[in-house]
Amino acid sequence: MPMTENIKINIKNLWFYYNDHPILEDISLEIPQNTITAVTGPSGQGKSTFLMTLNRLWESIEETRIKGHIEIRFGSDFQNIYDKRYNVSDLRRQVGMVFQVPNPLPMSIYNNIAFPLKLKGENNKTLGSFRVEDALKRSFLWDEVKDRLNEDARALSGGQQQRLCIARALVLNPQVLLLDEPTSSLDDKSGRVIEDLLLELKKDCTMILVSHYLDQVKRIADSGMVLSDRQMKQQW
Amino acid sequence: MKPEFFDRLFNYFSWGCSILLVGAVLTIVGFLIANGYQSLNLHLIFDDTRPLDAIFLKSQVFDGLFPAIAGTLFLITLSIIVAIPLGLATGIFLAEYCPPKIKGSFSLLFDILAGIPSIVVGLFGFCVTIFLHHYFYTRLFPCLLISALSLAFLVLPYIIRTTQISLETLPLSVRLTAPSLGATKLQNIFYVLLPSSLSGILSGIILSIGRCAEDTAVIMLTGAVATAGIPKSVFSSFEALPFYIYYISSQYSDNSELMKGYGACLILLFICISLFVFAHWIKKRLSQKILYRP
Ligand SMILES: Nc1ncnc2c1ncn2[C@@H]1O[C@H](COP(=O)(O)OP(=O)(O)OP(=O)(O)O)[C@@H](O)[C@H]1O
Ligand SMILES: [Mg+2]
Repeated sequence: MPMTENIKINIKNLWFYYNDHPILEDISLEIPQNTITAVTGPSGQGKSTFLMTLNRLWESIEETRIKGHIEIRFGSDFQNIYDKRYNVSDLRRQVGMVFQVPNPLPMSIYNNIAFPLKLKGENNKTLGSFRVEDALKRSFLWDEVKDRLNEDARALSGGQQQRLCIARALVLNPQVLLLDEPTSSLDDKSGRVIEDLLLELKKDCTMILVSHYLDQVKRIADSGMVLSDRQMKQQW
Repeated sequence: MKPEFFDRLFNYFSWGCSILLVGAVLTIVGFLIANGYQSLNLHLIFDDTRPLDAIFLKSQVFDGLFPAIAGTLFLITLSIIVAIPLGLATGIFLAEYCPPKIKGSFSLLFDILAGIPSIVVGLFGFCVTIFLHHYFYTRLFPCLLISALSLAFLVLPYIIRTTQISLETLPLSVRLTAPSLGATKLQNIFYVLLPSSLSGILSGIILSIGRCAEDTAVIMLTGAVATAGIPKSVFSSFEALPFYIYYISSQYSDNSELMKGYGACLILLFICISLFVFAHWIKKRLSQKILYRP
């Protein structure tokens, strides 16, 4: 059992329902800081749903309900993320998410990456372009797009879009990163590059990684969970 | 019988239908052009007045279509200016904020509103005018403003429902992207949801422009008259092309007047097409501006 000062995310008795139909049943879990936790399991068991409970994204979906308690340690204190007084936009800036299917916005490549900064109200152009460049470099996309930053992001290939979405999640330097099969549309070699990136990110980020590739999970994850029959079981 | 047979049959059938409709449109336009092209000249629009003098209101056009053209343009502009913000706001409310319980009844009401015949809307505008005239402001008569408001009322349901439906049919993945990056609900609506449904919303607005340009029943009860000149203010009565066409076709005294009616039809058609092209141009510029601004 890790000590509490190393715990980043504390999940207690989490239940989740779509249309009163339970998807997650009484899940309790502690996730240590600066680690990669892998979640595997059969399709349709609720892995993506589980990720959405950590940034409260499910609240934008109709007919959903949650029960239980989740706290995340930002700085020195644990924050109950479902606290009424806690700002959900702030939460989502600290808990970034990369979706299962790449979802570039219908904008230029540059604007996609700069979008979270714009939402936050950061208007410093020089600093902004510096951070966009940095995020694109960290996700190994910079060399491929540096000459076409003003082109439509939807014209990128599937794998490029996936890295674009990773860059977009990184631009705010989140403390927690939720990754839903981030290498599913990449070939082995590009997948390895992303894995290296995640390992690199471990020093300032806590990650939860949904993946179907067991060998990938074994390579990079510090602990592995399996989600099936609405339960989360620790594998190692 | 083989399935391929039905495949081919349906293919021919849909070809046939499309050709029939295209043929009908071409026949109407061809008929109008054949009848109207002789009278289509500057004289038809400006009579004996010098065009620039008329446009800059230096002298009045008595027997030309210029006042009717100006009246129609004013009318469309005014109605659309009223209808767009109201319609967009209501559509956004229905799609994004309305509690599910009352959404159904609201949507039904707007669908009923869309089905109200324009003569009834005109009559309603007329009654409201009489009421206001009697009880509040005796100098109020049917006028450009009343017509524009009634027309706005007529086209509001199109704008509301197209806005609502194009927002509601956006896929969940589009809906969730901006919130996951820290967007508030309003930011999501303005930065992502509205721009993504621009083309649906614009088709509603284009439909409305067309409706404002052609509708005769509403304006003939609420302020359009046969001769009024250029309206001096929104409280004046006005001339409008569809009303002119209606008037001429029912009361023409000789062939040259009828020819002028055909000319007016062509001009109205031309105005509608120009407005559609303009709306498409705006749509392109708008999405460029919203989405690709560096
Ligand atoms: N919007 C929704 N409304 C109702 N039920 C939903 C909705 N989204 C997902 N579900 C249900 O919730 C369950 C879990 O879905 P989820 O997407 O979390 O699965 P997953 O483990 O990520 O699957 P995969 O590996 O295929 O991505 C599924 O059975 C699905 O049918
Ligand atoms: Mg999933």
